[in-house]
Amino acid sequence: MCNCNGSHNDNPLLPVVGKIIKIVEETPDVKTFHVTSENGKPFTPMPGQLGMVSIVDVGEAMFSVTTQGPEHLEFAIKRVGTLTDVLHEAEVGQSIGVRGPYGNGFPIDLFKGKDVLFIGGGIGLAPVRSMINYCIENRDDFGKLTIIYGARSPEDLCFKDDLFENWPKVRDTEVHVTVDKGDDNWKGNVGFVPAFLEQINPSPENTIALTCGPPIMIKFVLQSLAKMNFQPEQIVTTLEMRMKCGIGKCGRCNIGSKFVCLDGPVFTLAELNQMPNEY
Amino acid sequence: MKSLSKANLSQFLETMNSKVRVYVPVEQDGVSRFAPWSQDCQLVLDRNTINPPKRLFFPQTEELYEYQVDKQDASVKSLAVKPEPFVVFGMRPCDVQSLKLLDDVFLTKGYEDIYYKQKREQGIVISLGCPEPEETCFCDSWGVNPARAPLADIMMIESEDKYLLEAQTEAGEKLLADLSGQLTDQSGELPEGKPCSLKVKNEGLMEHLQPKFEDPVWAEICRKCINCGTCTYLCPTCYCFDILNRTRGKQGVKYRCYDSCMYPEYTLMAGGHNPRPTKKERVRQRFLHKLQYIPERYQELGCVGCGRCIKKCPVNLDITRVINQLWEVE
Repeated sequence: MCNCNGSHNDNPLLPVVGKIIKIVEETPDVKTFHVTSENGKPFTPMPGQLGMVSIVDVGEAMFSVTTQGPEHLEFAIKRVGTLTDVLHEAEVGQSIGVRGPYGNGFPIDLFKGKDVLFIGGGIGLAPVRSMINYCIENRDDFGKLTIIYGARSPEDLCFKDDLFENWPKVRDTEVHVTVDKGDDNWKGNVGFVPAFLEQINPSPENTIALTCGPPIMIKFVLQSLAKMNFQPEQIVTTLEMRMKCGIGKCGRCNIGSKFVCLDGPVFTLAELNQMPNEY
Repeated sequence: MKSLSKANLSQFLETMNSKVRVYVPVEQDGVSRFAPWSQDCQLVLDRNTINPPKRLFFPQTEELYEYQVDKQDASVKSLAVKPEPFVVFGMRPCDVQSLKLLDDVFLTKGYEDIYYKQKREQGIVISLGCPEPEETCFCDSWGVNPARAPLADIMMIESEDKYLLEAQTEAGEKLLADLSGQLTDQSGELPEGKPCSLKVKNEGLMEHLQPKFEDPVWAEICRKCINCGTCTYLCPTCYCFDILNRTRGKQGVKYRCYDSCMYPEYTLMAGGHNPRPTKKERVRQRFLHKLQYIPERYQELGCVGCGRCIKKCPVNLDITRVINQLWEVE
């Protein structure tokens, strides 16, 4: 038995076994897991790329890498099924299988030199965050950053430190947060993301919009962006599908002839408009 | 070219099997399939097998790696093993063509599937041409010649009381040389077979289908399908798989097994969303995958015209009739 310290490039289905080194409770049903392996970071993804995460005797599922450090990867995971139930019960020190990076990631060159409008809803901020942090680390390569984020309630907001502490301090960066339903302590905006977006009304000029969230939010965000004259080429989103292999072989994550695990998960709206509406 | 007397076939297979493991088409428990050669096996050489030989390269279930867990700790170990060289004897040209597509899926687009690759590299294919295709065969509509398999190592055709064999690769030549004691030199060329009687119109099909995704015809086509998945399990080009765990105590095995786009769970996500929630989406996926998506992605057709799905579909959902129906849609 090996602990898979080395890479397994000859067998992409075999995971590297690493460990959870930190768990952050984001919301009642979202935790962020920091994962590393004996040889340091299991792999180095580009923003928007994916990792296949497993508890080896339970199962595997694909998650976006929400951000990374020099020695670790972070996965923000909502509790929704068998594997995520077990993950949410796990403690620091738990062995975790990881393989990747998978997928295309965000088209960095498309974003360079432009203002970036990030629109996230709920756990949909997880993949968006990888690009936000990339823009912050390479701040001079991008124009103004506008982050619009919403969740069901104040306690359902993910990455609160980033939203209220870290990101607002970054040069030429605006953070707008809304909740569907407030509570006694909530002083911020109450309302759905699409309406909030229209109220903020960012200009489409030299701007790329990146959105991810629940399907219903994306549907109305796209309508709002169209109203504000964003063109399909300026809108980028990232999709979710059931995946088993992550390497374009097992078959299930196709939309037409595109495989979300290989050709996605990131697509521009212009690309999506050319694909069958089956996601 | 070499010839082999039919009376010597058994001796030929026995000799070959003493050098490398040989898989042959046999009838077992009422089902025809490829199985290891033995003197008492019941060879099926007058028609293609119901179970496709893809299983020899991509088994129905296949162990990927084993694992051990102990409290929080875990370790894994690959179970990919390169097999000894083996021979697949009697694979039909349609099924040999299906290997081309499986190669595209498992060996291209940035990732090689080692489990498939190891078997594919070690397998020597002796194709048996079809002198007279069955009534459900339509391989020649897709450009497959029922009497020729260009990808096979050896092409073999029945001719009266003998078989004619022609090596098409180095591995094929070597195998025939090793078995030269069983074979006679023969002049001339391999005979052609008869064309298929069942036909479909192929040319321009992909382009014709591209704007038909939302067409109401899919609601009609799917009506009688019961989503049983038989077509996908018997199809020589279907390759979808699931990856599952089998855990006993502190150890277990991660394995894959055939899956099917006919089943709702295939695309069902944790959280409940399903992009293909009804049989209309699933049936559409199956046909468009074969006839449009695979051609777009790999510049190959996803159907080889073997006719197994026509023979075995319990509700007689015939892919050639579906294609004709799709051609009628404006």
